[in-house]
Amino acid sequence: MSDFEHPASSLASDRPKVIVLSLASDFGCQVQLSNFPYLLESLSTIDLAYWQLVISADMPTDYDLAIIEGAVTTTKHLKLLKEVRKTAHTVIALGTCAAMGGIPALAGHGPSPEERLEDCARTVYGDYAARIAQNRIVPRPLTDVISVDYSIVGCPIDPEEFSSVLQYALLGVKERPEREPLCAQCKIIEAPCFYTVQKLAADDACQEENNKLSGLYRGSTDIPCLGLVTRTGCGALCISRGRPCTGCRGIAQDANLESARNFIREQGRSVEEFDRALAIYCSHSMNSAVLNDHSQVSG
Amino acid sequence: MIYKIIAKQAIEDLFKGLQENYDEVAGPRACGPAFVFDKLQHACELRLDYESTILPPTKYFLAPTERLMRFNRVTGESYDSEPVQTSRAIIGMHPCDINAVLLLDEIFLGDFIDPHYAAARKSTFIIGTSCMPTVGHICNAFGTDEIHRGFDLFLTDLDDRYLLSCRSVPALELVDKYLAASDPTAKDIDDFQERTKRFKDAFTFTPNMDQLPLLYGAKYNDEQLWKDVGDDCLCCGACAAVCPVCYCFDVCDKLDASGQTGLRYRSWDSCLKSEFAEVAHNHNFRPTRASRVRYRFYHKFVGNFSRQGKMLCVGCGRCMRACKVNITPARIIGALQQSQIDKEDATGDGIEKADDAE
Ligand code: SF4
Ligand code: SF4
Ligand code: SF4
Ligand code: SF4
Repeated sequence: MSDFEHPASSLASDRPKVIVLSLASDFGCQVQLSNFPYLLESLSTIDLAYWQLVISADMPTDYDLAIIEGAVTTTKHLKLLKEVRKTAHTVIALGTCAAMGGIPALAGHGPSPEERLEDCARTVYGDYAARIAQNRIVPRPLTDVISVDYSIVGCPIDPEEFSSVLQYALLGVKERPEREPLCAQCKIIEAPCFYTVQKLAADDACQEENNKLSGLYRGSTDIPCLGLVTRTGCGALCISRGRPCTGCRGIAQDANLESARNFIREQGRSVEEFDRALAIYCSHSMNSAVLNDHSQVSG
Repeated sequence: MIYKIIAKQAIEDLFKGLQENYDEVAGPRACGPAFVFDKLQHACELRLDYESTILPPTKYFLAPTERLMRFNRVTGESYDSEPVQTSRAIIGMHPCDINAVLLLDEIFLGDFIDPHYAAARKSTFIIGTSCMPTVGHICNAFGTDEIHRGFDLFLTDLDDRYLLSCRSVPALELVDKYLAASDPTAKDIDDFQERTKRFKDAFTFTPNMDQLPLLYGAKYNDEQLWKDVGDDCLCCGACAAVCPVCYCFDVCDKLDASGQTGLRYRSWDSCLKSEFAEVAHNHNFRPTRASRVRYRFYHKFVGNFSRQGKMLCVGCGRCMRACKVNITPARIIGALQQSQIDKEDATGDGIEKADDAE
């Protein structure tokens, strides 16, 4: 498919048959869907045939649209996905685990993913490691296994964003993922930057001013804010609640990791710590060559 | 212009007058270690001693996101396209920010009138206030440290009193009705002059603006110069978000959950984003960070200069605070001037001809 085409011509039926299923995840994104205040309106536009979290019926064998949460961690997942891709006209990856590997992918983080996975299994299951989850594979996002038409990132996802992407999918309109890091959005909500705040906090004159903060920007400034390189679009949610960004939307396509690391170094912080924090959600993209390609394009 | 003197405490009366006459009073208030322009309930929240704010008050004329209309996809109807009308008094705008409004006026009220901007502008009462430059303020380089129009009322701080400059009829009415004001005395005038001198002397740094547009054109293809800043840029767009005169916006549609109705809105955009210059068939005419940073300042120092005769920077220093990798007007100007000096040193040569001005 060339980039010039729509990712999917619109779904044939007026009320397409939809399934929602989950691979390796904590079901948080599905819970978020159920938190959506306009869920019923959304449902009126589709025929919801299966939803793993809330419908006890068996998964149907034919459907138009598959919404899939969670990372791929077993050979069973591989088989299921191939099946789903053959059947569904459109596939939506729901949440950071499905779209980019997320937290599950940490079990394969590092130069030798297979070894790392076995290490993790031994740490968790001890002597049982050989007998438990024998069909395990190095955790990966859906996109590594099948072609995905739409991705919704976030840990958990924002139901509003889900609703928009669902409408794109129903109409067959190309999505426009944000490419730039979070900082502009953080300025738009008029939050002082965590890095600057820390510098100010060291300055006695500002101490008093800082103490007046209602707990907001205090206590968490030793955690590096990953907004520097994280894909925007959440409205700087965590920062608006007084916490640095932990990077749940993944590394932005436009991100300049090298310069961000230099900045971290100049701040007298540890780059290793920054990378470790970044790996929590982004280990898969840090391992793959994808990032290097991007820096070429944007460099 | 009519000049009056009021006591410092009279600000409370002024505030009361504003509250009685406008739906909303906005002004600088403290927000942790920073200041923001926000809706104020009480005069005590007002911090006229602020140095700078995270976002400029121009956000009241061009909002970060703004509804343009709502629509029904099925019937093709559109509705709710009227601008929201809130009468607002903004108190405490510095000269640079009022100058920014004048620059925006030429863009949004010039050849094309933007109805949303025009409505916000019409329903806003502007009160300026004097300031003292601190680190990063370079308004003196752009002549935006002074302001003679664009406000209704201006307050110059004379320690225990304010000198009021009233420029509009509503301003005079407000002063008459709510303030115990007197005419300036010879001492007030002396103090004003002394303050102006103190202000001018407080600038510790002024960028060298000599031949800036010409120099920019000449250095437009200096790869190393632009690569240096491009390598640093985090592509975050924070600089454009906080800039009072960066005015680019994007227009988007968002469908409601029903899929039938939706919202068309605009939101701030920035030329530092890779998507900004992407056109049909994924062609990008500014594909690298270096080309994007070069373009941003080109627009500011050359593009707008050839159109309006003014540069699109008021020297407010906000981008210096927002940019984590120190990409600022002062750095760009410095790099351009420096490369000129280097060039002369190396070859004794003058300025080369620009061959690729946008
Ligand atoms: S680094 Fe974090 S706190 Fe600082 S501007 Fe960026 S998103 Fe905001
Ligand atoms: S601020 Fe960062 S961690 Fe928080 S929701 Fe946004 S992207 Fe995720
Ligand atoms: S470029 Fe920077 S200094 Fe100039 S007006 Fe914009 S934010 Fe202020
Ligand atoms: S110049 Fe600075 S603030 Fe602007 S996009 Fe680049 S890194 Fe961000």
